[in-house]
Amino acid sequence: MTSTNGSRGGVVSVESREVTRAEVEEFLYREAQLLDEWRLDEWLTLFEPGGRLEVPTTDWAGWDATTAGYFVADDYELIRARVKRLKSRKAHAENPHSRTHRMVSNVILLEAGAETVWITANFVIHRYRDGGAYTYVGRYEHVLKVEADGLRFRVRRAVPVMESMDPGARLSFIL
Amino acid sequence: MAQQTPVRPLGAPGDGAMIDEDWEALRFRVHRSAYREPEVFAEEIARIWGHTWLYLGHETEIPKAGDFKTRTLGGRPLIFCRDADGEVRVFFNSCTHRGTVLCRHSEGNTKFFQCFYHAWAFSNSGELAALPGDDAYPDDPAFRASMALRQVPRLQIHEGFVFIAFDPDVPDLLTHLGPAAHYMSLTAKIGERGMTTLPGVQLYSVKGNWKLAVENAMDGYHFAPTHNTFVGYLRETGFAVTDDDQYAYDLGGGHGLLVLTGHNGRIGMVWEPRFGEEEKERTVVKRRELEARLGPELAAEVADASRILFVFPNLLLFDLEALTIRQLEPVAADRTDVRAWQFVEVGEPESVRALRIKTMVSFVGPGGLATPDDIEAYEAVQRGIIATADAADPAHDWSDMSRGMANEKQGNQGRSIDEGAMRSFWRHWAHVVGASTSVAGAPPAGAPASGPAAARAGE
Repeated sequence: MTSTNGSRGGVVSVESREVTRAEVEEFLYREAQLLDEWRLDEWLTLFEPGGRLEVPTTDWAGWDATTAGYFVADDYELIRARVKRLKSRKAHAENPHSRTHRMVSNVILLEAGAETVWITANFVIHRYRDGGAYTYVGRYEHVLKVEADGLRFRVRRAVPVMESMDPGARLSFIL
Repeated sequence: MAQQTPVRPLGAPGDGAMIDEDWEALRFRVHRSAYREPEVFAEEIARIWGHTWLYLGHETEIPKAGDFKTRTLGGRPLIFCRDADGEVRVFFNSCTHRGTVLCRHSEGNTKFFQCFYHAWAFSNSGELAALPGDDAYPDDPAFRASMALRQVPRLQIHEGFVFIAFDPDVPDLLTHLGPAAHYMSLTAKIGERGMTTLPGVQLYSVKGNWKLAVENAMDGYHFAPTHNTFVGYLRETGFAVTDDDQYAYDLGGGHGLLVLTGHNGRIGMVWEPRFGEEEKERTVVKRRELEARLGPELAAEVADASRILFVFPNLLLFDLEALTIRQLEPVAADRTDVRAWQFVEVGEPESVRALRIKTMVSFVGPGGLATPDDIEAYEAVQRGIIATADAADPAHDWSDMSRGMANEKQGNQGRSIDEGAMRSFWRHWAHVVGASTSVAGAPPAGAPASGPAAARAGE
């Protein structure tokens, strides 16, 4: 996963702007906080218009979401529809909301693009609902648009590393 | 408190009926032990999964010689592969020597399956190909032949759908499928160059009995309330869902069919605004292609309605929106593993493929905008039916599936939003597992139609 354009000491340059691992970590930690607190409207603002939300299946071997089955393959309109749904009392699978607790670590700045930085990070999400406890383990593989005032998701991809979704471990929340 | 309606006394589970069907009271009930009890589950695995054709997978999952997938059916680990001559084979995934799981990969391509334990190896057509230290075994070809991989007793393929049976004496597959075979063929005819499954298989497990997943698929009644947010999303994209004039069919043998015309569009068949203008034009072109290839009548049957087909006991074919194949694998009374594939036209344009995937996963699967609410329903039922187990009043421990019986009694075709397709499933289930059924009153005179085509033929 090392790259000639990859970070040295956790810093990459996108156009003339420096992006540090600390900035990316801050972005991911803040995102995790918004999701754990179910502040979905604020979460939506972390996407650039036209951004994508993807969760590949557990047999994923790098296929694009336009050529293979996925768990989630949302374009921007669907992300907005998903947020609207999750805020509704009629989203039965998340009414009441799951309690989630996210740990994000192992953040690596992989490569700088023309206006983006590709990053990867590991996650562990504990989810609790209806007396059940579920653990989701995986990694993020995001493409972040670098803007003057911060970072935005261009592609937010959560790759589960489990062999399958355990009994009860649905993806009705944002992974 | 007095009962509002008289309820016939029923025995406790074990000595009483599991299905209570009463055409005077217009009531159909299933005893909740059917979802709950390990003993019932054991009977299902033995009597249904042990003696019925089961959907294993699709031929296109293993396109090349040597391709294999491993999967479990009725709890038995299997190897689903294509041998060196291109023939589909299904073996028990267990070394004939000492029973070790032979292939521990979920998929791949190989000429040989080698057991790691003592290094016995088998060709992909099952012959014992390597027997280390064979000088200590009988110098007799019959010994090697006796150690060939065990094939499942029966294997038959209909339109690329591969079925197996663990009982050598099951009837021919087409006999088992009955009218369901026709509906599988309709789906298989969609693609000018055929149909294929895609990689990217949804594997998930629900904390619910497998029959709850069957009921849910055959139940149009739940759609509007359960999928309220999805219906709302469609409305915002410019499509109004309707449940009017849509019907359910008992195909016999426990198989069922819902034919839906107002639920949503269907890629390449029935356009709706969220599919976009390019797809609108392609839908017109696609219809012409279908008519030229199949004739106008068959083209209309393929294209004009969405279908949800249940093939008893473990296959659901969702020919709606896009297309998915769903397989149910019961693990315990309260747990079901689900495997779901996207099913697409061979050679369709990239933009159509992308639209199909986006559309389908926006609804289905544990991450969709709709299926999670179905899963919530299975799991909430499974948790809820504990409440009335061994209740002081045994009349409380039943689930009701009476909707539409009055209409059915008048000889009318059951609507998709009634519960007739569930009733026919349960009747067949009771017959196969040997559960007793209590029937009171006279069922409707006419035998249930075997599908819209048969219903038309009978007019």
